[in-house]
Amino acid sequence: MFDLNFLLAGDYRDWLLSGLLLSLQLMGITLLLSLPLACGVAMLRLAPSRLLNGLGAAYVELIRNVPLLAHFLFWYFGAPELLPDAWKERLYAGNIEAVSAVTALTLYTAAYMAEDIRSGIRAIPAQQFEAGRALGLSFLATMRLCIVPQALRLAAPPLLSQTLNLWQNTSIATVIGVAELMYQTQRVEAASFRSVEAFVFASVAYLAVSLAIAGLAAWLQRKVA
Amino acid sequence: MLELIHDYWLYFLVGRYPEGPLGGLALTVLLASLALVLSLPFGLLLGLARLSPWRLLRWPVAALIHVVRGIPLLLVIFWAYFFLPSITGHESGQFGTMLAALVIFDGIYLAEIVRAGVQAVPKGQVEAARSLGLTYLDSMRQVVLPQALRHMLPSLVNQFVSTIKETSLGTIIGLAEVSFIASQVNGLVLTKPVQVYFLLGMTYFVLCFSLSRAAFWLERRQARLLKAAA
Amino acid sequence: MQTRLHFAALLFTSIAFTQVAQADQLAAIKAKGELVCGTLGTDEPNSFIDAKSRQLVGYEVDLCRAIAQGLGVKPVIKQLAVAARIPELQQGRIDILTASLTHNKEREALIDFSLSTFYTGQRVLVKKSSNITTVAGLAGKKVLTVKGGTQEPNIRKAVPGVDVVTFETAGQAYLGLQQGKGVGYVDDEVSLLNNYAKLGAAQKDYIVLPQNISQEVFAFGIRKGETGVKTAVDQVLRGLEKSGEAEKLFFKWYGPTSNVKFQKRTFKIESDKIDA
Repeated sequence: MFDLNFLLAGDYRDWLLSGLLLSLQLMGITLLLSLPLACGVAMLRLAPSRLLNGLGAAYVELIRNVPLLAHFLFWYFGAPELLPDAWKERLYAGNIEAVSAVTALTLYTAAYMAEDIRSGIRAIPAQQFEAGRALGLSFLATMRLCIVPQALRLAAPPLLSQTLNLWQNTSIATVIGVAELMYQTQRVEAASFRSVEAFVFASVAYLAVSLAIAGLAAWLQRKVA
Repeated sequence: MLELIHDYWLYFLVGRYPEGPLGGLALTVLLASLALVLSLPFGLLLGLARLSPWRLLRWPVAALIHVVRGIPLLLVIFWAYFFLPSITGHESGQFGTMLAALVIFDGIYLAEIVRAGVQAVPKGQVEAARSLGLTYLDSMRQVVLPQALRHMLPSLVNQFVSTIKETSLGTIIGLAEVSFIASQVNGLVLTKPVQVYFLLGMTYFVLCFSLSRAAFWLERRQARLLKAAA
Repeated sequence: MQTRLHFAALLFTSIAFTQVAQADQLAAIKAKGELVCGTLGTDEPNSFIDAKSRQLVGYEVDLCRAIAQGLGVKPVIKQLAVAARIPELQQGRIDILTASLTHNKEREALIDFSLSTFYTGQRVLVKKSSNITTVAGLAGKKVLTVKGGTQEPNIRKAVPGVDVVTFETAGQAYLGLQQGKGVGYVDDEVSLLNNYAKLGAAQKDYIVLPQNISQEVFAFGIRKGETGVKTAVDQVLRGLEKSGEAEKLFFKWYGPTSNVKFQKRTFKIESDKIDA
């Protein structure tokens, strides 16, 4: 019968908790990496050069039209094989699973965040940009010092919603052997055949963090409004 | 890469069909289409339930929506896979499970789109319909929903693109959709992972990009028509 | 929120453990005219996809067909993920499991088993370049295998300090070994030997470590309590053994003309007992 105690002690609890920790770490590292990348791509799309615009647009379209699962499989089984042998050995000796997962997640999340940041930038009155240029700042400096900080504040709600998506997307890393929460849940289920307890734990854990992120979003919105 | 395509194109497109159940790209598109068609009414019902005046209906539905939105689709799929047969008393294969999970998950996201679409239809339309003697249901069916659906079309196509991407998770419960087939081919060939997964990515890209371009074109056309009508 | 979740969880559990009233399964199979066999489709030569005909073939697939014939019904071969085998059987989505299923004490609590159809071990495949010659040498290293089978628990028991990474299919784990993402690949002995044989010229770069980390007894999985089905299946299996058909099937898939190249069969299909 349903027995939560079964999960709260011993090996199974350790596995699940280590999975939860790894999921949180995946989310954290991806956030740190994808925000700057997203800003970069957004600026590519707004740059005064058609070539750069095209590059940015191509990045966004290529990434967003392919499922995250395929990205994970490509960055784990496909891409590393293209590296020169010495690099490959160093990479494989380390935690290739996590590196591939973070790569795929970062590129994927940045593609979506770039669009939100771009909308944020476009919402800022053009005078801000003109003022920056008039003061003698270059395109990039204007962006960096005046526009992007304001844009990030405006884009905070959709960015937080992307963070929510990111949190849920970390679960797909189980297919490339990353021992995060979903992977450990499958492992507990296979070892103990107690699917209900394992899935309830996973559901509660994912929900708790989702609610925390949503709570943060609501609090931020009240502060800004 | 050409020999890959030459040897496996049929398996990639239709799986084991007709020697076995449908698989591959055909299954992906079929699953996504069915999921979209079924999740629309489900989303509509949920949206209406959210707005209903009875707490007994509003609260459980709101709870369900918050729970499902807070957990990954993969977990919804596992729940459906392990427990749907016990709840419905009815065995469902991997296809049925995946379909149920997608309908539930997407329906919840669609509830918002549907609600916005219905609310975008000018109130005058509803009033005109009622004054012509149509009942609430009839005015919904014949006047409001057709117009609402037309408004929702771009968002619906985008949702279709999302659903196509979501079908890839069927791999994990062994559903023979196109990602599973790609991994299987990879296991048979063993020496060409980059090509196999690149082809998989390209397949999704071509399919989804053309659909999202179609959505974009639809949106622009609607904006033009609206401007012309104004 | 917590109470609502607990309530939902309790609701799910109570429903999940409600047994749907079932008539005797054997009668149901005969009435349906179909026997649904669950196989892996990714474990050559037990069950795998023949690339040309796009059909599921293999030792267990043939046995399933023979059982269906013995029962007078049509065989329907369904493909399953390794981790999903027992749940699919328990939920009634398939009638019997013919999916490289190990018969062990833990599983006996959940399902019943037919006569044992195959005996094999579990071994580890490594690259020669890793300089690992015994299973004990895997301590502290990364080995790859499939999720949801007996491979992970067995290797952890055999090598306490090992690092195990699991994938959704055995094929992906094997690919990982080839690419060097792990030093060892753990699988049932016959699957390993089959993969090793398919390596062809590359065999010189790999060795199968000599130790068996476990003895695996394969049998068909039957839903708990369905004694009618078990008796009927065992009867067909005994018949196949007596007529020599079982041995013929063994040699068709595992004999000298196959990749595995077993010269003789060291068992008979006659018992469903396992050592503790």
